[in-house]
Amino acid sequence: MPEPTIVATSATYRVQGAALVSNVDLEVAPGELVAVIGPNGAGKSTLLNLLSGDLHPTEGEVLINGIDTSRALPGDLALERSILTQREPIDIPYTTTQMVAMGRFPHRRDEANTRERDSAVIADAMAQTDTTRFAGRTYTTLSRGEQTRVSLARVIAQATPIILLDEPTTALDVAHQERIMNLTAVLAEDRTVVAVLHDLNAAAVHANRILVMSEGAVVADGGPRQVLQADLLTSVYAQPMVVVDHPFRDCPLVLPADNAQALDPEP
Amino acid sequence: MTDSTDSPHLADPFANRRRWAGPIMGLLVLAVAWGALSLGAVPVPADEVLGVLARKLGLSVFTEPSAQAEAVVWGIRMPRMLLAFTVGAALALCGGVLQGLLRNNLADPQLLGIGPGAAIGAAIGSSAGGVQGAIAGGVAAGVVTAFAIRRLSRRPSIDPTPIILSGVALGAALSAWVGFVVFAADRATVPPIEFWLLGSLAGSTWRAFGTVIVFATIAAIVMLASARILDIFRLGEADARHLGIDVDLVRTILLIAVGAAVGATVGAAGVIAFVGLLVPFVVIRFTGPLHRHLFVVSLAGGALFVATADLVARLAIQPIEIPVGLVTAAVGGPVFLWLLTRRRDA
Repeated sequence: MPEPTIVATSATYRVQGAALVSNVDLEVAPGELVAVIGPNGAGKSTLLNLLSGDLHPTEGEVLINGIDTSRALPGDLALERSILTQREPIDIPYTTTQMVAMGRFPHRRDEANTRERDSAVIADAMAQTDTTRFAGRTYTTLSRGEQTRVSLARVIAQATPIILLDEPTTALDVAHQERIMNLTAVLAEDRTVVAVLHDLNAAAVHANRILVMSEGAVVADGGPRQVLQADLLTSVYAQPMVVVDHPFRDCPLVLPADNAQALDPEP
Repeated sequence: MTDSTDSPHLADPFANRRRWAGPIMGLLVLAVAWGALSLGAVPVPADEVLGVLARKLGLSVFTEPSAQAEAVVWGIRMPRMLLAFTVGAALALCGGVLQGLLRNNLADPQLLGIGPGAAIGAAIGSSAGGVQGAIAGGVAAGVVTAFAIRRLSRRPSIDPTPIILSGVALGAALSAWVGFVVFAADRATVPPIEFWLLGSLAGSTWRAFGTVIVFATIAAIVMLASARILDIFRLGEADARHLGIDVDLVRTILLIAVGAAVGATVGAAGVIAFVGLLVPFVVIRFTGPLHRHLFVVSLAGGALFVATADLVARLAIQPIEIPVGLVTAAVGGPVFLWLLTRRRDA
């Protein structure tokens, strides 16, 4: 197992006394694709914000590649981690290429980083996300799924060892969801990837590790088969759930059930 | 799209238009300069204008100018034209910077209240130290007012309504205070209220130009150096932070630069509205959205707009001069309204 690049120690985040994230101990290493799941308000996004350095833990600490996020300069963090967020609307007509090129900004002071290298990284990121054919198109004219791919291309162009994704597949059709998750899995081969996901089955199929959050705490942490248990999910989501086997992949699938099925899963 | 397959990542639909920006702006500047130096109550033909310029360079070519022509062209019209160029360039650039910082195409330094705020300091300064006192007071008050609107910029949004409303309210209140200062001051030393609120280049001197250009140049260097950062600011504060930008620091530095540059122009020429709104709005259609292109062409565009407006202000109702801010507002107001009511297309 390689050295962990994300290390959270008793990380807690309180607002006016209420702990949105409490006492999270977490180590994530390159090669891992960690899905963070849990109901609305469980603290998933707050945890991601703690890992990104957007929020500083009120107790405990978060280290990314050895840097304490509470003391780091923004420019140093940007060389270690990139983030795909739900994009705010923009009202300026950037082209797709210009959007992706912004990912190179953190590297502007690196003397080894030439203009040619920037261009090559941008072209490569666009090829990986299949956005090359939108190169000259205005970003705002793309569909939601295409925009997400462009955002992912920007994240790739930032070329960081850690990638954080906040609900990357929300509001995408099923084909785009699959595409984004497959790309994410490829990125995770040699990088550290943490993704907040609402789609439990996307987590089951693509993640190699799942964190379940409930009321600010991590209540389960492990492989999909280990974590995705009907009783745990039923109690965390306050909704009867059943877990079945995927028909041809080696992973579980999660489905909501009605109360009778939950009580008697084998009719 | 097929012609760009060699380097598709470089595709930029505005590249062609930008190629023309330099030559076209150059020609327009020459045309406006001719008008500014040649036309007026005492017409000076172009060859005599060139004669004046040549003599200042120690040459004796073109038509030997009369003493009157030399006094008018070099003593009055030249500083006035240069000040118009400087004020216009500075205001247009400040508009572009504010629009990037606030992610809002309706941002204009005067409409947000920075100009009226600066005018209070400038009016006070002018009673103490003439035009240089006015410029110093304008710079100080401009920076203070810029920090007041810093609070507004904390919640940037592409919904322009809240910030425009705050700006209108702040501007109205500050304009009233300009009135209090002016009417309380000595009329012999402090220019009248219409100078401050409507703007005028009628009193331009070499000394005023020399002072404004210093502030404008320093501010412009800071702003041009921030072009790439502002590209990213347009995506939102979270994205800017994720790409390694110290959002608060950048905002502080740029607001100081905007406050100082606007304050200097107000000290020398009063509040000339709508330049910062109108020029980037037009220029972006030719340069595309990257701020380094937008800024460079806006400098030229702002200079041209104010110098042309000043020509109109001088020549429209001769021998009476109208305040130059009326001319810029007459053009800028309708565009502002159109922008305000336009439906967002995405």
